[in-house]
Amino acid sequence: MKGTPMTEPVLRLQNVESAYGPIKAIRGVSLQVPESRIVTVLGSNGAGKTTILKTISGILDPRRGSVTFRSEDITAKDPAHIVARGLSHVPEGREVFPLLSVRDNLLMGAYTRGDRDAIARDLEVVFRYFPILRERAAQHAGLLSGGQQQMLAISRAIMAAPQLILLDEPSLGLSPKLTKEIFEIIVRINRERGTTMLLVEQNANMALNAADYGYVLENGRIVMEDRCDVLREKEDIREFYLGIRESSARGERRWKKKKTWR
Amino acid sequence: MSVLWKLDHLRPDPKVGVPGETIPELFRNAVALRGDGVFMREKELGLWRSWSWRETEQAVREIAMGLASLGFEPGECASILSNTVVEWVLADLGVLCAGGVANGIYPTDSAAQIRYLCADSSTVVVFVEDDEQLDKLLEVRDELPLLRRIVVFDMDGLRRFEDPMVLSLDALREAGRRYDAQHPGEYERRCASRGPDDLAILIYTSGTTGQPKGAMHSHRGLVYTVRGLNLLISQNDRDERMAFLPLCHVAERMGGEYLSIYSGARLNFVENPDTVPENVREISPTVFLAVPRVWEKFYSAVSIGVSEAARLQQLAYRWAIGVGRRVADRVLAGQPVPLSLKAAFRAARFVALDNVRKMIGIHRARYLVTGAAPISPDLVRWYLALGVPMLEVWGQTESCGASTGMPYEKIRPGSIGTAAPYNEVRVDPETGELLIRGPNVFMGYLNQPEKTAEAIDADGWLHTGDVGTVDADGYFRITDRMKDIIITAGGKNVTPSEIENELKFSPYITDAVVIGDRRPYLTALIMIDQENVEKYGQDNDVPFSNYASLTRAPEIVALVQREVDKVNRKFARVEQVKTFRLIETQLTAEDEELTPTMKLKRKFVEKKYAPLIESMYQGG
Repeated sequence: MKGTPMTEPVLRLQNVESAYGPIKAIRGVSLQVPESRIVTVLGSNGAGKTTILKTISGILDPRRGSVTFRSEDITAKDPAHIVARGLSHVPEGREVFPLLSVRDNLLMGAYTRGDRDAIARDLEVVFRYFPILRERAAQHAGLLSGGQQQMLAISRAIMAAPQLILLDEPSLGLSPKLTKEIFEIIVRINRERGTTMLLVEQNANMALNAADYGYVLENGRIVMEDRCDVLREKEDIREFYLGIRESSARGERRWKKKKTWR
Repeated sequence: MSVLWKLDHLRPDPKVGVPGETIPELFRNAVALRGDGVFMREKELGLWRSWSWRETEQAVREIAMGLASLGFEPGECASILSNTVVEWVLADLGVLCAGGVANGIYPTDSAAQIRYLCADSSTVVVFVEDDEQLDKLLEVRDELPLLRRIVVFDMDGLRRFEDPMVLSLDALREAGRRYDAQHPGEYERRCASRGPDDLAILIYTSGTTGQPKGAMHSHRGLVYTVRGLNLLISQNDRDERMAFLPLCHVAERMGGEYLSIYSGARLNFVENPDTVPENVREISPTVFLAVPRVWEKFYSAVSIGVSEAARLQQLAYRWAIGVGRRVADRVLAGQPVPLSLKAAFRAARFVALDNVRKMIGIHRARYLVTGAAPISPDLVRWYLALGVPMLEVWGQTESCGASTGMPYEKIRPGSIGTAAPYNEVRVDPETGELLIRGPNVFMGYLNQPEKTAEAIDADGWLHTGDVGTVDADGYFRITDRMKDIIITAGGKNVTPSEIENELKFSPYITDAVVIGDRRPYLTALIMIDQENVEKYGQDNDVPFSNYASLTRAPEIVALVQREVDKVNRKFARVEQVKTFRLIETQLTAEDEELTPTMKLKRKFVEKKYAPLIESMYQGG
């Protein structure tokens, strides 16, 4: 990773390959997430973003390669063990418990913790970030809107007091306004609590604004990595991920340039 | 499937071919002879569609008349800016049948390059493939006062675009139909308007130094060469060819398009440059002309496939290729192949070689032709071991393609064969340069009489710039390009291409440039084969993210070092590559460092990577 101090990263993936039966979803991914940073993995549909997160949190066992979390090899460990070590996964599509109340959903997040006072304090923190959750604390989570469910899913992850949160497409299915709000809070959580985050996104614009460092994943391989402010200026990122293209002499352009990833 | 000891089918058939002294005559006679037979095939929405000779002529006629309706006069130049597609051939023949001069432009060229080529060739009409190529041309059209019209093959994305200068190919053909009806006899008059000595086509040489030069070829030169070519690489109307190399290049234009018109071999067009491997298997050509880079790619795909296979399969492959090599050795030495070895070879084909041929798509190939760049003799021997004859040809744009070719009866890998029957070739006793004389030699460079005088001497010999030798049997060997020969600081003459070809034989190296002129030792800039090196990195737990980080990984540098060491063992000490650097950028055909056929341009690379090169000579 360019331009970062050589301290041991919170999370390190080395040559990770994961497959669904005969289909290789990620074909050798090496990346790292340094302490207190937000790192993003950008990629289109099917690039392998979710597979990376599932492999990290132990839901999927990799074919090769290793996952190291705080100097411990957690490759193919049991997901419960990995959560207990301080790594929370906010899955794609929220996946809240619809028939439990909002409060119970949050307490489920704290399942691995024993210190009741600390849990109560974190509950307050979460309610401060997302006041709507306090208002609706007694309602079934299934009655919340999509955006509120996303807030709940993130809050539930925070309740585990994790050292690292894996965020799988928090913008999925949300209005631009809600997406913006959620990203603002993600950044706030990172700044205020120092929580390290690995964020995978299709919404490149949002992710590049929020994160410090980014990787671009295509067909299961990383084709580019750099600081987000550098990535934003790359021609291929601008054309293919941010949708900014110089218009041609004709004023419009349908054809796509070839990606070079420089 | 062919076997090496029975190559009678390569003997030229004197009955093949059509008469004609100009390309329009040749084409029209071919149409008259073959009528409803299939000339070309292309894939449309996943289905193969055939173009009969008659249909092709109809389209050519409409294009020619369409051009006439636009005021295009005989002798004027039209350029074609497109990938290798059926419409390229239609436009080319349409221009020639209208009495015009046809010039091809590489679709990978930049707008600035397109501007130069159109201006230099005095182009008045440009055929472009699609909106992408159109946009490049529109960017520079204000600087091209001679340009009158632009014809677009594929109008996708342009339906709502209106511009008085731009029309679709369909619209041009429609206009041609109307013009034809109003001007009976005009098409025939146009076709006959050019004589054998008139300029027919321009082929721009890629120009590693300075601007590209437009080589002029007359109808006589083209037709003469095509007739001769069919004695060298003979084919007939039962052959299936694959059209995929750029038609702007002399190899596909002559050896593909024009030779097919003459011989009747069918042209099957690949879908796009990225689908070549799939299309080879699908088309499985019976005669296959390609450049060394393509042969290298196939070979590395097989090598990697074998290294991934089960132990038993690996053993089977090794045994089979060993049998194939023994057969090839005997055939190359001119000895008969004993029955026992023939039987072993049959078994070898059954257990492995047939599958390898199928995996590449050469299982129907009667023979392979390689040219346009030097090839490693080991690679030729590998194809021979598969049982498929590979014939090397040598020539250049200025000699209208092949000037020497490998006789099929006596193949000698490492040599470029003997002089083609239609031209003289000799080695200049003073400089060692290969010289060519014959009607196939070009008319000169457009607008550059001084350059022409440098290329063709007073006695009509074309100075090729290649240095080589000839043996008692008339087999030529190329040692190097004259201007590429390295003289080290120690005064030793080194021919870099020999070393480079050995390096390229490695599956991990795509291309290399050896450096060392007036330097104490030799070094190399190496471009890695992305796919194979990534696979190696992944298999050996080398952490990497993108291409650049791959080239920086110490394990990869060590891998390439081992490949370089292997090559070094084959050379004398002064000819060994002492150190090397990997090129960190992933280059594409659009990059100026590469020729459209994906070769590194030596001079350009030397300039662009000067600091990297200097770093190899510091502290040493």
